[in-house]
Amino acid sequence: MIKAARKTGLIFFPAFDWAITPNHPEREERLLYTQDQVLEEGLLDIDGIVEYRVRPARFKDIQRVHFCVPDEAAVTTESHLISAGGCLVAADAVQKGEVESAFALVRPPGHHAMRVVHGNRGFCNINIEAVMIEYLRETYGIRKVAIVDTDCHHGDGSQDIYWHDPNTLFISLHQDGRTLYPGSGFPEEDGGPNARGATVNIPLPPGTGEQGFLFVMDELVMPLLQAFGPEIVINSAGQDNHFNDPITNMNFSAQGYAKLNARLRPDIAVLEGGYAVENALPYVNVGIIMAMAGLDTSTVKEPNYDTDYRDQPAKITSYIEQLVETLRGRFLAETVRENPGEEGEVVERSRDIYYDTDGIHERQHEKIRTCSECAGALSIASTSNRGQHMLAVHIPVRACTACQEIGHAWFDQGIKGPFSHVYLQDRVNKVYRRAGGNA
Amino acid sequence: MILGLDVGGTQTDTVLVEGDRVIRATKTPTSDNLLETLRTAVDVTLGDLDPGAIERLAFSTTMVTNAIMQDQMEPAGMMVSAGPGMDPAWFSIGPSYHTVGGCLDHQGYEVKPLDRNAALKAVSRIRERHIRVLGVVGKFSVRNPLHEFQMAEWAGDAFLHMALGHQVSGTLNFPRRITTTYLNAALYPLQKQFSQALVQILDEKALSAPRYLLKPDGGTLELGKSDTLPVRTAQSGPAASVMGALALDDCKGTTLVLDVGGTTTDMAVILDGVPLFSPHGIKLGPYQTLIRSLLTHSMGVGGDSEIRAGRNGKLKIGPLRKGSPMALGGPAPTPTDAMIALDLLNVGKREDAVGGMIKLGAPLGISDKAMAQMVLTAMAQRIADAVDAFLYEINSQPVYTVHEVLEDTKIEPTSVLIMGGPARHISWYVGNALKLPYRVPTHYDVANALGAAVARVTTSVTLQADTERGTVIIPEANLEKDVTPRFDLDQAVILGRQVLEEQARLMGAEQETLEMAVTEKQLFNMIRQGRITGRNIRLKMSVIPGLIPQWPRR
Repeated sequence: MIKAARKTGLIFFPAFDWAITPNHPEREERLLYTQDQVLEEGLLDIDGIVEYRVRPARFKDIQRVHFCVPDEAAVTTESHLISAGGCLVAADAVQKGEVESAFALVRPPGHHAMRVVHGNRGFCNINIEAVMIEYLRETYGIRKVAIVDTDCHHGDGSQDIYWHDPNTLFISLHQDGRTLYPGSGFPEEDGGPNARGATVNIPLPPGTGEQGFLFVMDELVMPLLQAFGPEIVINSAGQDNHFNDPITNMNFSAQGYAKLNARLRPDIAVLEGGYAVENALPYVNVGIIMAMAGLDTSTVKEPNYDTDYRDQPAKITSYIEQLVETLRGRFLAETVRENPGEEGEVVERSRDIYYDTDGIHERQHEKIRTCSECAGALSIASTSNRGQHMLAVHIPVRACTACQEIGHAWFDQGIKGPFSHVYLQDRVNKVYRRAGGNA
Repeated sequence: MILGLDVGGTQTDTVLVEGDRVIRATKTPTSDNLLETLRTAVDVTLGDLDPGAIERLAFSTTMVTNAIMQDQMEPAGMMVSAGPGMDPAWFSIGPSYHTVGGCLDHQGYEVKPLDRNAALKAVSRIRERHIRVLGVVGKFSVRNPLHEFQMAEWAGDAFLHMALGHQVSGTLNFPRRITTTYLNAALYPLQKQFSQALVQILDEKALSAPRYLLKPDGGTLELGKSDTLPVRTAQSGPAASVMGALALDDCKGTTLVLDVGGTTTDMAVILDGVPLFSPHGIKLGPYQTLIRSLLTHSMGVGGDSEIRAGRNGKLKIGPLRKGSPMALGGPAPTPTDAMIALDLLNVGKREDAVGGMIKLGAPLGISDKAMAQMVLTAMAQRIADAVDAFLYEINSQPVYTVHEVLEDTKIEPTSVLIMGGPARHISWYVGNALKLPYRVPTHYDVANALGAAVARVTTSVTLQADTERGTVIIPEANLEKDVTPRFDLDQAVILGRQVLEEQARLMGAEQETLEMAVTEKQLFNMIRQGRITGRNIRLKMSVIPGLIPQWPRR
């Protein structure tokens, strides 16, 4: 019998009875052919590949990460909870040492879901990786986490959630935002005042192939990880960089994904996007599972690889080389992590967020306390065109006394303010409150 | 009258059934010669009865299991077409295994035609080695058997027998399809020889009633149909006990079935009269197959298990059997000796059994009686621990729909049915250890032979329709035909039922009413550019295991 070099957990939840809408890409059939391919390959018979049963996440798992407006029940379905719960099963399996690594092959995805959730953005309601990471921190005391997001779309939700957290390194490789949804993810977006340099965006030109992705891995991502020294590495394993993907313009392959995974060796991989359900996902997923299990993936290929895959042109190669050199200068040099603000200063920003799936417009005003001791107290005032006007206060894990005090003060003021709802997410005392405002 | 027979490791149990009564039950030693064992058992059981009065004969044998374990199979050649994916060389089996270029995708579309020259070359290589049987397997052949048919056609009549992968099972699993097909090919000559010899023995005795073999899924298969599907009859013993349980007890609620034998204890679960199935195919020695099976677990604890005193006074029972109990001249104390020492059982030399208990008890400073009770308590506890692990495994099976996750049905037995030789003497201890109400049925010591006697024919089919491709396929029945874009779930179920019934008749189902179940039913709309372009329908249907109508329902 074939034996895995690394014991690998597989959490498969295709949600065969759930769709956003009947014709939506995020529908029942999405992982059907992946399941067919995985079963036909006999991957589950391999000694060292263990399949786990999913469990639903609870609202309190979500409350560690999100402010759901008006509440969790309103913005989630059972399938969101199970998808997030599948990631928690993966986390437990790895942390308890039952497996060396795990792959949560679950849907629906999550990496476009931000800290405040009014509805669905980019097919995502709940950020399943973030729910898992905060569960890992709460349950197992994990501190430093790295996320490497290899979905073709910029992981703007994960970026938002970890924007101020110096203990979470968020790296996103994606198709350049000038050419694809959500239109963000430029190198200048490099983290909030307390976490500058802990967000790294690597926008790649349309047409990037195996060579380009693997070059970025070797020359930039792996050195970044080494410098950061995470306790755990998460791969947001979107699969839409594939040359067969109908809605993106990249040129990656199952071989490429397998090689990327073998280099990264993530502790946990989580499926994100990827909607070439017949001619990319089955092969990419087989490649990732085999790579995680440490098996030889050189024979894993799409049936049309030999005829349809083309190496990236030289122009792209030199563009990427240039980009990597710039980013190495920016993120691997010693001078990066200076805090621009003065200790204790409150830095503010405003922005507009659009929820493409649900057609919601949100306006946010954010305040963060500049702090060198913790991730800083954070408050977000958010208004949506659905008539919600809320205030959310986040006190981070291991917050310093000053940040805890200011966070509580913001919350107390908020209750008296003109808001429909006021939320408190106090990670230090594990207190999660939602109060009616004075609106 | 019906004759049922179950070949065990040490003893062969045989029963004669008339109406709802077991009118005769015998135990004969199992010898190395299976056919001789069968001949003797039938002789002993029939005695001077009129063979013409026997209307049905059913056997649960160890033919296939033994042939596999003792490696008596005929060398089979293998021809495999795979395409990209896991390297098919990893699944190499047998003395002459060849991969041939060509590829089908997961929906059964041909991506790359089969390499005819490579196939012909493989055939001549296999023939050069004087190999008489061939297995041909294609990846995704259950979605489209085209490449298997081509390989078979190109092999022509060069072989005594050819086994085709898609006919084994409709389940997706290429490595298991390869293994199962290999075994079907490699066992063919032996199974044919066996079935012919058995027919001859029965004919000589003027036993001309229909003959059946028991399968691990709790159903039967007509003896004559087993030649080309030998693996389907492997490891039927545990299923014999489960069918015996169904015959002897109404099995209401969630019944845990324990069959405590000499060397092993088998466990299974019956839900309101329907046994649980294994989600995977049966494992035969080193071979993982696609053969359907009841969900059973066998552990190395039985009446004749060796007992050793471990460190800190803990008893170790099994998994080895060193021989007979000490009361019967064996070398080591056994649970059977404990039963004899407690006067629950009157067999052999009591003083030797007591001697064994005294020796075990001395270091602990306890009497032979106390020791014997401790042995039975420990044995029951080992069984209870294994039951817990078995149930945990069942309840950890992955589920793939929101509905199933939320429903979160857990299997928790409401009672335990205990069978096998030691059943009566161990039942109180086992019930206690499991904290469950327990029952010991009548004929508990030959329940397996009775199970074989009264089990009806089972079979199953897998249907997949793809209206975009315009095909429906039922690989087990070798059916592949065109469908219109309107083909829907209802039509699929009707077709499935019809084919299933044909298959059941083909496998020997006679007058019995066929109780059919749809075990999987899925419909997916196939959507391209936001438009529905077809339906993907998947069904698994089976004739579920049950009792023949001659045996009255309890």
